[in-house]
Amino acid sequence: MTDFSQSLALIAAEELLTVVGLVLLLCAAWMGDKASRMISIVAVAALVACAFIAAPALCGGLMGPERVAFMGQYTADAFAAFAKLLIYASGIASLIVAPRFFGQVGAMRAEYPILILFAVLGMNMMVSATDFLTLYIGLELNSLAAYVLASFLRNDERSAEAGLKYFVLGALASGIILFGMSLTYGFTGSTNFTAVALAMDGTLATGALFGLIFVLAGLAFKISAVPFHMWTPDVYEGAPTPVTTFFATAPKVAALALTMRVALGAFGTQVDAWQQIVIFVSLASIVVGALGAIGQSNIKRLLAYSSINNVGFLLIGLAAATQEGASAMLVYLAIYVAMSVAGFVVVLMLRDAEGRPVEVIADMAGLSRTRPALAWALAAVMFSLAGIPPLFGFWGKFVVFQAAVNADLIALAAIGIAASVIGAFYYLKVVKIVFFDEPANVVAESGESGVDALAHKVMLLIACLFISPLGYLLTPWLGELADKAAAALYFVG
Amino acid sequence: MIHIIAFYLFAVLLIASAVLVIMSRNPVHSVLWLILAFFNAAGLMVLVGAEFIAMLLVIVYVGAVAVLFLFVVMMLDIDFAELRAGFVKNFPLGILLAVVLLAELVLGFGAYRAGTLKLGEADGTAATIAGRSNIESIGALLYGEYLFLFEAAGLVLLVAMIGAIVLTHRERTDTRGQNVSKQNKRRAEDATVNVKPEVGKGVTL
Amino acid sequence: MIGIEHYVVVSSILFVLGVLGIFLNRKNVIVILMAIELILLSVNLNLVAFSAFLGDLVGQVFAMFVLTVAAGEAAIGLAILVIYFRGRGTIAVDDIHRMRG
Repeated sequence: MTDFSQSLALIAAEELLTVVGLVLLLCAAWMGDKASRMISIVAVAALVACAFIAAPALCGGLMGPERVAFMGQYTADAFAAFAKLLIYASGIASLIVAPRFFGQVGAMRAEYPILILFAVLGMNMMVSATDFLTLYIGLELNSLAAYVLASFLRNDERSAEAGLKYFVLGALASGIILFGMSLTYGFTGSTNFTAVALAMDGTLATGALFGLIFVLAGLAFKISAVPFHMWTPDVYEGAPTPVTTFFATAPKVAALALTMRVALGAFGTQVDAWQQIVIFVSLASIVVGALGAIGQSNIKRLLAYSSINNVGFLLIGLAAATQEGASAMLVYLAIYVAMSVAGFVVVLMLRDAEGRPVEVIADMAGLSRTRPALAWALAAVMFSLAGIPPLFGFWGKFVVFQAAVNADLIALAAIGIAASVIGAFYYLKVVKIVFFDEPANVVAESGESGVDALAHKVMLLIACLFISPLGYLLTPWLGELADKAAAALYFVG
Repeated sequence: MIHIIAFYLFAVLLIASAVLVIMSRNPVHSVLWLILAFFNAAGLMVLVGAEFIAMLLVIVYVGAVAVLFLFVVMMLDIDFAELRAGFVKNFPLGILLAVVLLAELVLGFGAYRAGTLKLGEADGTAATIAGRSNIESIGALLYGEYLFLFEAAGLVLLVAMIGAIVLTHRERTDTRGQNVSKQNKRRAEDATVNVKPEVGKGVTL
Repeated sequence: MIGIEHYVVVSSILFVLGVLGIFLNRKNVIVILMAIELILLSVNLNLVAFSAFLGDLVGQVFAMFVLTVAAGEAAIGLAILVIYFRGRGTIAVDDIHRMRG
C-alpha cells in the first residue's frame, strides 16, 4: 500500500497526458484550426514522453504492492506498461496519418489530437485498473472520445452514421458491463479485483455468476468478438480512415488487456465458469471473421472482419488461462498492432488521380504494375494476417497455439489451425487481384511528395520490417518482455 | 407497513412508466414518462436511506438530461409515424428476447424460492461514519479514497463537452453578431456632426 | 422491511425493459437513447440497494460516477443524433442501405 504522494508519482504518465491535453485545448481555442499541425506535433511528443515513462516499468518487470496506487484502485505494473506502450504506438500512428487525410477534405481540426490524447488517457486507466470503478471511468473516457472521433467528418453521412451505430451499441455494451459490475459488487461485497477474487473462491453464488457473465459479455462487445461483432464492419467502413486505424489498434489492445485483467484477476478463482464461454467465443470469432470477409468488396470492411478473426485467435490464449497463454496473447497483440497499422497505412496511401481515397478492392487490380512497392507492402500485410510462415504474423499464432496445447486444449488448437487455413483464402484473393488481375488504373501512378507522404512511407517501412521475416530477430526480446508482463499479471501479493 | 406500501407504490409506478417510455407513440410523451420513472426510482432510493443519490438523480436527470432530451425532440422536425413502422415487426422477437432474459434473471436469482439472497460481505472500511449523515460520509469517501476517479470523472465531462461542441458547432456566416468592444468604443462625437448650413444650400455628408 | 431480493427483481425488470426498448424501437434513435438511460437507472438502483444492504458506501459513490457519465453520454449521443439529422433530414436508422451489416 502506498500513500498519496507515491500514488501521484505512479500516475505520472496520466498526469502528463492530462496537463498536455488541457494546455493544447486552450491553444486550440485561441488559435483555431490552423494550429492543428503544431498541436498534433506536441501531442505526438507527449505520447513519446509517456512511452519513456512506461518503458522502465516494463523492462524492470515491476509488480507488487509498491506499484499499486490509490488504495488498490490502480496499478502501474509491467503488464500495464506493455499494453500502454502498444497504445502509445497506435496513438502516434493515428496522429501522424491524420493531417493528410483530413486535409484533403478540409476537415482537419485542432480537436482531433486532443480527443486522441484523452482517449489514450482513458485507455491508460483501463489497462491499469484493478478496481471496477477505475475500469468503468477509463472505459467511458475512452468510449466518449471514440464516439466523437467516429463521427468526426460531420458533413459526411457515412461518418455520422458510423458514429451513431458505434454510440448505440457501445452504450448498450457499457450498460451490460455496468449491470454485471453491480451484481458482482452486491454478491461479493467489493469492487476491488483482489477482494472480488477472494470472495468468489469456492462455490459461486448464482448472482455473482450472472455478474461475471454480464461483465464478460459487455467486454466481448468492446473487443468485437462474435456474437457481439455486428457493429465492427459498419463502423470501420464509415469512420474516417485515420480513426479506423486508431479503432483497430489502441482500443482493441486496451479492451483485451482489460479483459485479461478481469478474467484472470477478478474472476481468476472461477476459471471453470468462463473458460467454456471463451472457447466458444474464440472459435465463433475465428469462423465468422473468416467467412464474413469472403464476400467483401471494400478493403476497410475486409480489415474489420480480419480484426474479428484475429481477436478469435487472441482469445485462444485467454482460454488457456495460464501465464504462458497471457504472455502469448501479449506477443500476438504486439504483432497484430504492427500488421493493422501497416494495413491501414497502405489503405491511406491508395488515392486516385484527384486525391480521393480508394477503398474498393477491385480498383486495386494490377497495383503491382503501377505501384510495386505499395503492392508488395499490401501482400506482406495480407500474408502476415493469414499467418503464412516466413512472415511474423505466423509467430503470433504459433505461440498462442503452443500455449493452448500446453494447457491441454488440443482440440481448440487443432480447430484454430484448420480455420486459419480456411481464413487464408480471402487474404490470398486480395493478393491475387493486386498482382495478377488486369490493371484497373484507378490508383494514381505516382505517390505524393511532402512531409506527410514521407511520414506515411517511414511508418509503413517500420511496420513492414517488423512483420517481415526480420521480425523473428526480435522474438527473444519480445518474448522476454511479454513474460515479464504476464508474470506481473499473475502476481499475487 | 407504510414502508412496504411505499415500496410497492414506487416499484409499480417505476415499471409502468418504464414500459410507457419504450411503448409511447410520441417521443415527447416518452420523455415525460422517463421523468416519472426517475422520480419513482429516487423514491426507492430514499427508502433504503440513500437520500443524497436520490436528490442527485432528480436534479441531474430531471433537471438536465430529460430537459436536454425534450429540447432535441422539439428541435428536430421528426416524422414520428415513419419511425413506428418497424415496431410491430420487431415486437414478437423483442418480447421473446425479453421473456427469456427476465426468466433467466428471476430463475437465476431464485429470489422468491430462497426467500433472501446471500450477499457478499463488505470489509467495513467504507461504511457510513457513525453519527454522520449520508451526504457527509459520501463526501469523505469521494474526496478522499476516490479522489483520483473523481478527477477522472471531471475529464469525462470535459470530453463530452468538447465532443458536443466539435460535432454541432457551426460558424454562422449568414447572421450578424454583436461586437461589444466596438459598441463601447464608439463615442458620440464619432457618430454625430454639427453643421450650420446656409439657407438654400444642401448638406454634404 | 423490504428485502434486497425485491430491489434486485425491480432493477432486473427495468434492465430488461431497457434492452427490450432498444430492440423494439430500432428505428427511433431518440427512444433508444432513453432506453439506455433506463438501463443506467436500473444499474443505479441496483448499486444503491446493494450499498444500503451491505452497509458499504462504495456502491453509492459508484452510482454517482454512473450518473456523471450518463449525463456526458446523453450529451454526446444527442450531438451525434443532431449531425445525423442535419445530414439526412430524418433519424430513422433502418433505411440505410449504403452500409450493409
